[in-house]
Amino acid sequence: MSQSVLTRRAGSLATAAAIAALIAGAGAALAATPKDTLVVAWAIDDIITMDPAESFEISAGEIMGNSYDRLVRFDVNDPSKLSGDLAKSWKVSDDGKTYTFELKPGLKFASGNPITAEDVAFSLQRAVQIDKSPAFILTQFGFSKDNVKDKIKATGDLTLTIEVNQPYAPSFVLNCLTANVAAVVDKKLVMSKEQNGDLGYAWLKTNYAGSGPLKVREWRANEILALERNDNYHGEKSKLARVIYRHVKEASTQRLLLEKGDADVARNLTPQDLDALASNKDIKTTATPKGTVYYISLNQKNPNLAKPEVREAFKYLLDYSGISGTLIKNIGIEHQNFLPVGLLGASTEKPYKLDVNKAKELLAKAGLPNGFKVTFDVRTTQPVQGIAENFQQTAKRAGIDIEILPGDGRQTLTKYRARQHDLYIGQWGADYWDPHTNADTFARNPDNSDDAKSKPLAWRNAWDIPELTKKADAAVLERDADKRKALYEDMQADFRKTSPFVMIYQMNEVAAYRANVGGLKLGPTSDSTYMFTVTKQ
Amino acid sequence: MTELARNDQTWRAWLLSDRPQSRRQASLGRLYSGWRTFSRNRLAMVGLAIILALIVVAVFANALAPYSPYEGDLARTRLLPPSAAHWLGTDDQGRDILSRIIHGSRITLFVVVLVAILAAPIGLLVGTVAGYAGGWVDSALMRVTDIFLAFPRLILALAFVAALGPGIENAVIAIAITSWPPYARIARAETLTVRRADYIAAVELMGASSWRIVFRHIMPLCLASVIVRVTLDMAGIILTAAGLGFLGLGAQPPMPEWGALISNGRLYVLDQWWVAAAPGAAIFIVSLAFNLLGDGLRDALDPKAGS
Repeated sequence: MSQSVLTRRAGSLATAAAIAALIAGAGAALAATPKDTLVVAWAIDDIITMDPAESFEISAGEIMGNSYDRLVRFDVNDPSKLSGDLAKSWKVSDDGKTYTFELKPGLKFASGNPITAEDVAFSLQRAVQIDKSPAFILTQFGFSKDNVKDKIKATGDLTLTIEVNQPYAPSFVLNCLTANVAAVVDKKLVMSKEQNGDLGYAWLKTNYAGSGPLKVREWRANEILALERNDNYHGEKSKLARVIYRHVKEASTQRLLLEKGDADVARNLTPQDLDALASNKDIKTTATPKGTVYYISLNQKNPNLAKPEVREAFKYLLDYSGISGTLIKNIGIEHQNFLPVGLLGASTEKPYKLDVNKAKELLAKAGLPNGFKVTFDVRTTQPVQGIAENFQQTAKRAGIDIEILPGDGRQTLTKYRARQHDLYIGQWGADYWDPHTNADTFARNPDNSDDAKSKPLAWRNAWDIPELTKKADAAVLERDADKRKALYEDMQADFRKTSPFVMIYQMNEVAAYRANVGGLKLGPTSDSTYMFTVTKQ
Repeated sequence: MTELARNDQTWRAWLLSDRPQSRRQASLGRLYSGWRTFSRNRLAMVGLAIILALIVVAVFANALAPYSPYEGDLARTRLLPPSAAHWLGTDDQGRDILSRIIHGSRITLFVVVLVAILAAPIGLLVGTVAGYAGGWVDSALMRVTDIFLAFPRLILALAFVAALGPGIENAVIAIAITSWPPYARIARAETLTVRRADYIAAVELMGASSWRIVFRHIMPLCLASVIVRVTLDMAGIILTAAGLGFLGLGAQPPMPEWGALISNGRLYVLDQWWVAAAPGAAIFIVSLAFNLLGDGLRDALDPKAGS
């Protein structure tokens, strides 16, 4: 514990030193980045692993999307269209339960090993067996550690079959296979690094065994992540030789780096930075509404927060309009539903606004007229820190005393995943382009016990919801699109009223880049921002 | 008028008498001549005035602050430049920066006073005991002091706060733990100079216990130099506290600790410079004031300087 805090402090000191160096060097000649290298300034402190079977963080998602292939990918411009990545073709059996894939022939991993159906089957089995946070994307189809070797099988050098437990909508199954957890790893390489039967888990945490257009050369936590062109890639090769992600926490530092040409792309600029950059003709911006929503969640293990009136009161204590006009201007759109706009059935209802008196009434009804004290785990990046501090102010007006506990992404997330928080502010990015991705995590909690197998957001906040879980299960089997849509609208109405989640806004991701960078497009999900299509003049 | 003037004259004569009739007259006389030396130093008087002003501001913060330090209005008063309504502008939450600095002075004073109360007695005790006892007690205590001195102060404070958990009280404890060693060293050096003095031998012969000698006859002599050193260290203490606040390990939001204010303002340093500049100036002025005061005190309190 204390050691991780120390390394974090060291990181902050390093950032401070970097700022000092920048200020000192402000008068020096411009240091342009090399022509074949893209330097991206981004806060990447949420990355905890490079293993696709475990990686489940926003910035790690992008790295996995660029460096690992999977059976199918969706089209960034139209996410409802799927195309084969490693798979040449696929077919679904008549009973809707068996999927047969045929791979493209003659493909190679970055290591030079050939890609076979055995590698694909191994990767999916491995993800289920290692069973980390993202494993639920696969295990929801009925795979378990015991049966996965029978359900997912290589039937030839280039063919494999996947057997699911229910006749799901095929697009739902295929959409799930586009997720990072279904990324294909190099079996030969990974197994050669295995220790004590861990399926290469310890090694892959910081190493790379994929076949994507870019390969991971190096990752130094909270410092740098370097990607390099994979010359063995089967598709169109990356135009850039290298993409380097620099961990830069401060938006103002990112802006300085971008303006001076030390970085080509800046990813975490604040609304006022974007305002200021609008007049700079060397800098352009690109934006995409993301499948990411921001929320404040209330752990139901805390007896005060578990009261339904308290849950509702919190929704009246956020200054939605003030925040959307200032703290998240340009970078977010006010949104009060768990489905981001763009997904099937997403609602745009906004019933809540800041109303301290209403909140006080609700608190009085809950038997807490004088408020109570509660802690709030907050990652120290903007805009969440600003929103948290603002929420602290408005909640104080209703008598709720919030103590903010700042931490870096890794610290707060680890605590959140162990459900040891009271309040948490976080974001959720869609894992695949299907409403079930968010319904599954926000509105589904099949097992609320401490040692549950899958740990969705509802579980992390100990929200026990058998009814809503049933609705979510029904919606995923509904093949009629209109009926399915109605089911999701119904769930969102229920969620808005009763959930322990105060939904804040949907992210509008903006990247600012230097004018000599071309082809940069932010994807709708965190793993579909592709750097291998970027060019540089 | 003349009556008063003569009265003044006699008071001065009484205070400055080189044949004091009582202990009280002697110590008051000593104090008075110290004050005369001190007040001749203009810079030191400036420092003293600033410190007194800081204390007044901290005591009357509620009356002096024009707005609430904790509540702002995002929609209307966010990041406003300095103006007649907000003398030092407003921060990213729409809070009045002047009000936050005024309330922050309490935290600064709280840290400084508490550290002085915690660290100075520890240093004094360790130093005088080591100096008087000598032998292995001296060696043991001084090696411990050496160990503490071997660490950079801010890094050691960071480590302690990391272990204790963030918060202003823990920051105070961490700073106190890291700032006593210099006082111990000074106190020991002073003790060694008086250790073999005749009056100590006289008290020993009269059968006084070691503790009595340390507390009643040695410590008072070391006090002056320790006070000077503590005053000069105040600036360092303020900076360390602000550094911890800047790194998020000191005062937690929404407390208007000055270091935390700068930390908050660094996000806006390019376009809204006033957010970080005002608390920075506050830290600078108060630190400078403590240094000036310390200089003046050194000249006034040093018994060897003579006047």
